Amino acid sequence: MSSDYDYSDDDGDYYDEDDMMSTQDDEGSAPSDDDMDMDAFNDDFSVPTRNARKSYEIEHESLSQTAIEKLMAADIEHISGIFGVDEGTASLLLRHMNWNKERLIEKYMDNASAVSVAAGISLPSRSPPSSSAAAPIRSQGSSARSSSVPLGRTTRQRGKPNSRSPTPALMHGSGRSQAAKPEPFVCPICFDDSQTSFLALSCDHSFCAGCWNAYVTTKIREEGEHAIRCMAEECSLVAPDSFVQNVLSEDPPTWGRFQELLVRHFVGSNPNLKYCPYPSCTFTVSCPAASHKSALTTIVPTVQCGAVATPPHKFCFGCPIEADHRPVICGVAKMWLKKCRDDSETANWIKSNTKECSKCMSTIEKNGGCNHMTCKKCKHEFCWVCMGPWSEHGTAWYSCNRFDEKEGVDARDAQSKSRASLERYLHYYNRWANHEQSAKLSVELYSKTEKKMEEMQITSDLTWIEVQFMKKAVDEVEKCRTTLKWTYAMAYYLDKGNEKELFEDNQRDLEKAVEDLSELLESQIDAELIPSLRQKVTDKTVYVSKRNEIMLEDTAKGFLDGRWAWNVTVEGFD
Amino acid sequence: MDARLRRVNKEIADCKNDRSSNIRIDLIDSSPFHLKGSFPGPQDTPYEGGHFEVDIVIPDSYPFQPVKMKFITKVYHPNVSSASGAICLDILKDAWSPVLTLKSTLISLQSLLCSPEPNDPQDAEVAKHYTTSKRSFDDTARYWTQIYAGGPGSRGKTETKESVRDEVAIAGLEKAHVDQFEALGFERGKVIDVLRRLNYRGANVSKITEDRIVEELLK
Repeated sequence: MSSDYDYSDDDGDYYDEDDMMSTQDDEGSAPSDDDMDMDAFNDDFSVPTRNARKSYEIEHESLSQTAIEKLMAADIEHISGIFGVDEGTASLLLRHMNWNKERLIEKYMDNASAVSVAAGISLPSRSPPSSSAAAPIRSQGSSARSSSVPLGRTTRQRGKPNSRSPTPALMHGSGRSQAAKPEPFVCPICFDDSQTSFLALSCDHSFCAGCWNAYVTTKIREEGEHAIRCMAEECSLVAPDSFVQNVLSEDPPTWGRFQELLVRHFVGSNPNLKYCPYPSCTFTVSCPAASHKSALTTIVPTVQCGAVATPPHKFCFGCPIEADHRPVICGVAKMWLKKCRDDSETANWIKSNTKECSKCMSTIEKNGGCNHMTCKKCKHEFCWVCMGPWSEHGTAWYSCNRFDEKEGVDARDAQSKSRASLERYLHYYNRWANHEQSAKLSVELYSKTEKKMEEMQITSDLTWIEVQFMKKAVDEVEKCRTTLKWTYAMAYYLDKGNEKELFEDNQRDLEKAVEDLSELLESQIDAELIPSLRQKVTDKTVYVSKRNEIMLEDTAKGFLDGRWAWNVTVEGFD
Repeated sequence: MDARLRRVNKEIADCKNDRSSNIRIDLIDSSPFHLKGSFPGPQDTPYEGGHFEVDIVIPDSYPFQPVKMKFITKVYHPNVSSASGAICLDILKDAWSPVLTLKSTLISLQSLLCSPEPNDPQDAEVAKHYTTSKRSFDDTARYWTQIYAGGPGSRGKTETKESVRDEVAIAGLEKAHVDQFEALGFERGKVIDVLRRLNYRGANVSKITEDRIVEELLK
C-alpha cells in the first residue's frame, strides 16, 4: 500500500473498511465460483486460488456499490466531525473537492465561506456556511411567502452592456408580481396556479414540487449530473441529497440512479478504484498496486470484478485498450496497437519501394527507364543502382561499375535496412493477427465442440459431465492464444539478447503446445478411440495450461526484476 | 394540460402582450413547439436596422432542457455560423436555467449581437476577420445586414446604388485584391474563397505573400 496517495491521512480506516468488505464479498461470491465450474475434473486443471498468488496476478478487491457507499459514508462522517457540519453539507464539500479530504481540510481551514460558496452550499453574501446549511430545505405553503420570493431576475448579458440596446427585461415583469401580492404564488416555470406544494433551497428560489421533480429527473436521467443546481438563473446553490431524495420520493429508480452517479463520482475521483467497464455492471475494483502510472511499467494489472457472469468481467486496471493483454505491459501494448493502426505499413512500403534523392531528399519511385536518374525537383543527377552522383560514372551510361564508392554503399545500406525492418514488422504482425483471428474463431470452435460432445455422449458410454474436457480444452486454447498474441507484440519491441531468446523459447513451447491441442480438438471422433482421445486432450490441456503459466510467470517476474530491455523508448522506462 | 404546452402558450401570449421589447414569436406551422422568433438588430451596431429571424425548436423536456435556436437570417458574427446559423451561447447549453424564457433567450441573442465574443467563436473565419480588422468586419456585417436582414444601405454612402449582391463584399474582402488575382487568370469564385480562408484583410495583407496565395489557388 503506497502512502503517497492523496487521501493518505485516513489510510488506516479506509483499508480496514476494505478488508472487512472483501471478506463479506468472498463469502458471497465463493459458492458462485463453484457453480460456474460445476465440473468433476476441477482438480485436473489448476485453478489459481487467492492463497497462492502467481506473480502475474495482481492483488485486487472487488467492491459492491454498497461497499463503496460505506466508504463514502466514512469519509463524510470524518469531515462532518472535523468541521462540525451536518452530513449533507460534508458530502457536498467532499464532492466539490473530488473527495480529496486533505485538500478540502486545507482549503476549508483557510477560507471556509469561500469553499462553501464554491461548493454550492451557501450564497456568496451569507457568512458562516453552517448556519445556512443547517436548514437547507424549506417547504412553503402556496401563499405564505409569495411576496418575498425574488421572481424577477435579469437576463444575463454577455460582455459589456450596450447602452442603447434594449435592456433585457425582467423575466415575469417584477411589476406584475409586486402588484399581484395577494394572489396565490404561481410557479415561474410551469405557470400552473393550481399547484400547492412549493420547495426552495436556502436561496429561497421557490418552484413547485412538480417542476423540481421534472428538473431533477432530467438532470439525473439525461445529463447524469450528480451536482444539481438551483433552477433559478445564475444561482449556484447545489441541492443536498436529502432535498433530492425528498423531490424523488415517488421515483425510487431515479433516486437509485442518483446514488449510482454519486458512487461513480467517488470512484472516478479515487485513483485506487475503477468502475467495472462492463455494461450495467455496478461493481468496483480496488487495486492500490496499480494506482500510480509508474507501477504500470512493472505490472500488468488484469483484474476481475465480483459480478457473477460468463465470461467473468475481466479488465485491465491500467488502460482501456484490451481486457487482458498479459504478459505485455500497458505501455508496450498501446504502442504496438498504435503501430498496427497507423499506416506504418504505408510508410514501410514507401521505404522499401522508393529511394530518396541523395541531395534534396525527395522520395522517388523508379517506374522505368535507365539508371541515370535526374531528380525532378533539384535536378541532381545520380545512379539508381549505387545512389552515388552520376558524375562519378563518367560515360558508363547503362551499367554501374562503381559499387565500391563510399556514398553509394551508405545509401544502399540505408535502403536494405528499411526493407529488413518491414519484413521484421510483418513477421510479428502476421503472427499477432493470426492468434487474434484464431481466438475470435473460438466461438465457432465452441459450437463445433459442443456438437462433438453430443456425439461422444451418443457413441460412447460417457456421461455429459465426462465429456466436459472438450469445453475445458477450448477455453484453455482461447486463453493461451490471447497470451500468445501479446507475446508477439512484446517480442517485437524486445531488444536482442539472451533474455529475448529465453522469452522466445517459452513462446515457442507454448505455441507448439497450443497448436497440438488445437489439432486434437479438430480431429475426427472415432468411437473406439474416445477414451484415448480424452486422455490425450486432458493431458495436453494441463500441459498447455502449465506452459501458459510459465510464460506469464516468467514475463511478469522479468518486469519486476527489470530484466527486459527494449529496442525503442517505452513510456515510463528511462 | 401538458405542462410544457401550458408554459409555451403562456410564453407566446406574454410576448404578444408586451410590445416594448420588440420581440416577436410566431408559429411556423400548427405545432406550438416549432416557432419563429424575430427581433430588430440592436442600435449602434452593424446589425442596426436589420430584422433577424430565429428558428426555435422546443424539446420534449422543455423547460428543463434548453430550447434549440438558430438564426434563419444569415448573420455575420463571430458566435454565429455564417453557413448554418448555429449559435454559440452559454445559456443555450450548460448555463441554461428553467426560469429562462423564449423571450429572455431572444433578448440574450440580441445582446449577443451587441457584444461578440471572438475568443469563443462559432465561426472561426468570421472571428479571425473580427480580430484582424474590426472596421472591415463591421463593413461586412453591415453589408450582410443590408442584403440578408433587410437593413438599410449605409445612408448617403456609395454602396446604396449597388443592387446586385456583391460576393466580394459578402466575403469581407477588398475588390482591388480580388481583381488583382483574377487578373492572373484564376476564377473569381476561387479567388474569393482562398482570400477569405487566408483572412486576407487589414494588417494581414502585408503578412501574406502573393506566392502563398497563388500556391493556394493552384491547389
